[in-house]
Amino acid sequence: MILSPKDKITTPQAAVIVINFILGTGLLTLPRSSTEKVQTPDAWISVILGGVITITAGLIMVKLSQQFSEKTFYQYINDIVGKWVGGLLSLVVICYFLTTSSFQIRAMAEVIRYLLLEGTPTWAIIMIFMWVGLYLIIGGINPIARLFEIILPLTVILFLVVTFMSFKIFEIDNLRPVLGEGIVPVLKGVKTTALAFSGPEIMLLLIPFMNSPKKAGKALLVGVSIPLIFYVITVVMVIGALSIDGVVLRTWPTLDLIRSFEVAGLIFERFESLLLVVWIMQIFATFTITYFAAALGLAQLSKKSIHPFMFGLLPVLYIIAMVPKNMNDLFKVGDFVGNVAMFLFGLLPLLLLIISRIKGGKKHETIT
Amino acid sequence: MMMKEWLSKIGNKGKDPDKDKQAPASQDTTCPFTDNLHFNLECLKQEIGHNWDVHFREFNLGRTGIRSVIIFVDGLSDKDLIDKHIMPSLMVDFSAEYKQNLPYLKGSISKEFIKNEVLSISEIEAVRSIKELASKVLTGSTALLIDGSLDALLLGTAKHKTRAIEEPVSEALVRGPRVGFTESLSDNTSFLRCSGEIENLSLVKFQVGKRSKKDLVVAYIKDIVDPELVQEVENRIKKIDIDSVPESGYVEQLIEDNYLSPFPQVQNTERPDRVVAALMEGRVAILLDGTPFVLIVPVTLSMMLQSPEDYYERWIPGTFIRMLRYLAAILALFTPSLYIAFISFHSGLIPTKLAISIIGTRSGVPFPALIEALFMEIAIEILREAGLRLPKPIGPAMGIVGGLIIGEAAVQAGIVSPVLVIVVALTAISSFSIPHYSIGITLRMLRFPAMICAATFGLYGVILFFLLMTSHLVKLKSFGVPYLSPAVPYRLSEWKDLMVRMPLMMMKRRPKMLHTKNPIRKG
Repeated sequence: MILSPKDKITTPQAAVIVINFILGTGLLTLPRSSTEKVQTPDAWISVILGGVITITAGLIMVKLSQQFSEKTFYQYINDIVGKWVGGLLSLVVICYFLTTSSFQIRAMAEVIRYLLLEGTPTWAIIMIFMWVGLYLIIGGINPIARLFEIILPLTVILFLVVTFMSFKIFEIDNLRPVLGEGIVPVLKGVKTTALAFSGPEIMLLLIPFMNSPKKAGKALLVGVSIPLIFYVITVVMVIGALSIDGVVLRTWPTLDLIRSFEVAGLIFERFESLLLVVWIMQIFATFTITYFAAALGLAQLSKKSIHPFMFGLLPVLYIIAMVPKNMNDLFKVGDFVGNVAMFLFGLLPLLLLIISRIKGGKKHETIT
Repeated sequence: MMMKEWLSKIGNKGKDPDKDKQAPASQDTTCPFTDNLHFNLECLKQEIGHNWDVHFREFNLGRTGIRSVIIFVDGLSDKDLIDKHIMPSLMVDFSAEYKQNLPYLKGSISKEFIKNEVLSISEIEAVRSIKELASKVLTGSTALLIDGSLDALLLGTAKHKTRAIEEPVSEALVRGPRVGFTESLSDNTSFLRCSGEIENLSLVKFQVGKRSKKDLVVAYIKDIVDPELVQEVENRIKKIDIDSVPESGYVEQLIEDNYLSPFPQVQNTERPDRVVAALMEGRVAILLDGTPFVLIVPVTLSMMLQSPEDYYERWIPGTFIRMLRYLAAILALFTPSLYIAFISFHSGLIPTKLAISIIGTRSGVPFPALIEALFMEIAIEILREAGLRLPKPIGPAMGIVGGLIIGEAAVQAGIVSPVLVIVVALTAISSFSIPHYSIGITLRMLRFPAMICAATFGLYGVILFFLLMTSHLVKLKSFGVPYLSPAVPYRLSEWKDLMVRMPLMMMKRRPKMLHTKNPIRKG
């Protein structure tokens, strides 16, 4: 098993993993998906609320995992609900990670085909991406964490540069009126925005890898807050520039925002290439960590070495990624995955926490 | 062998038993001397006499009529010393004095007398076996055999061939010491001793190479270095099992962590100041006899992009130059691939005017961007290599051929576009500005796969290449230290000496990744 004593990550690394997991497709689609539901310029408030909800759910998961700080979710769930139910739940979680992973690469391939490589077949784009990912995760959690640490500063710098360039076409009026139609539309969007923050679930698996599992809560808080800031900036800038009517019509509104202005005199007049660089790296991060999570799950369920599973999952991921026929199918998959995530990581951890507290209390009594 | 044993048995006959006891226990295997000079000489001549450079010089010792002989190797032994000090003092008349000296042996002369009264040189050693004598003579000592004496004297006349200390050729500096290591191990260790750290500098000697044994010294500062690191270095050196080690590059390749990686995991340097600085940080240096290149472990990628001058200049220019170097590394690696990606896939992403002018200049070029770029990049690599190997007087001619024909003429002939020539020149200059030769060559080499990625997948290919390379780098370790530290894992306190070079006032601690015993550098 890959869980050797030396293979530990620091608290900042755990936070960085959460950040990179969360940032992904959402950067490009969140402005549209949230505005579709909210229908007023207040989508950014939904994003904040979504973030807060995610933090709450994440903290529950952290509390749950900290009770078994030596074990991952796949291992301790058996202690809580028994072998059969536990095994089944683990499988569901593994499937969730697999689907998320495939969804990410397919979405990436679609954007690449749309913007960069029009004639290149999807399979070629996906396969080469998966191989690079495989090469990384074979090294275990530590190289993954280190790579994420390299990606993150690049993301932050390039993203901020690109977004603030778009100030040129930003109109504050597009964001007015604030709460013009009350709080109700905002609440409608909360579910969608909360889903864009899917990522804290990795804490269920990360805690046994951490140097100091007690600081997991802190890592989660930082890990969700930074994407929250990113998302709010994105939504505000996109709606501010394109107005809500413009946002709803576009598949990838963030990209269109960047494409819609030119800055003369710089090396690049258009900056979508920079945004794409950032975004591909972020997709790579989400893809590798979910891939690793799925392989880790299978390895721990079967109590075997992780490497055969990493190789074995490669074709599985590819097939799942190629299932959706078009963009609409793909977004449906995304919605479905989101709904599953809502149950798996919103409700289930709370239930498990309550059960384990009751059981744990009993055990405690019997011991003393 | 049989013959020799037999001879020595005869020779030993009729000697008093006390003398026999003095002889070493392992008599048979080591061929001891007899008291018969003639026999000894015969044995020795069988052993080493067939070599043309071994000289046997027979003479009468000190006018006493006792025959003796000195044996030395021409070129290895210091003939000056033999002619001016050894021979005269042996041939001067001391027949009267030696008879008064005790113990007085009839027909021979005691080695104590020779040692104490006659020879005026510092290194004298008595040996009893022919084998040992032969091997010592072949490394430059002079042997003195005296008739009737049971052992031979070895005189330390080995002459080390050294060259003068020169400025290192491979690492030039504007400011900094002008000394470089030489081929002599003792010179090189003396440079380290001269650094002023006397008490705690440990120089541990090993021998590598099974046939041609060479001395190798592992240097570290006892109260700074992590003992586990020293242990690891020593273990890896002990595991070296090869017949000969001509240069420290062999050692480097035999002890590195991952021999499949394109990145060098051991640093080599000709500069003593660089080695001393590394030792002070808690690293370990490996010096090999016969080469001026000293190895430093463990290393990180950022170390490879630094020059000692960064620290000698003030911190603001130091920082500026260092950042320039990082930029150069990125340019050397990615410029040609980005050119290919933007020209052949995403000409829409570059400014329209620029795109039009580039495409205009490319209109006559019959090749796709990849072939065009490969052609020029390979040409410039060949030029570089040729410039390196050529005898110095022909060098300028190379420049003319390379600069004029490859650059100017290729453009005029319409084989490549002028923009590409700029790109290639920029790449080449950037890669030459990297202070460390082996990492420079790695980056130059890696730009070819990057170009192929760019030609297949455009910008996406370049990003994937970057991710692949970074994935490799984050996995790589050099003697247990992550290759990309201190950049990742995040260690903010050490970023003071990463991209920027903060003032020395602020760099108070040694690098944490080395787990030093004494972390404080400055009070």
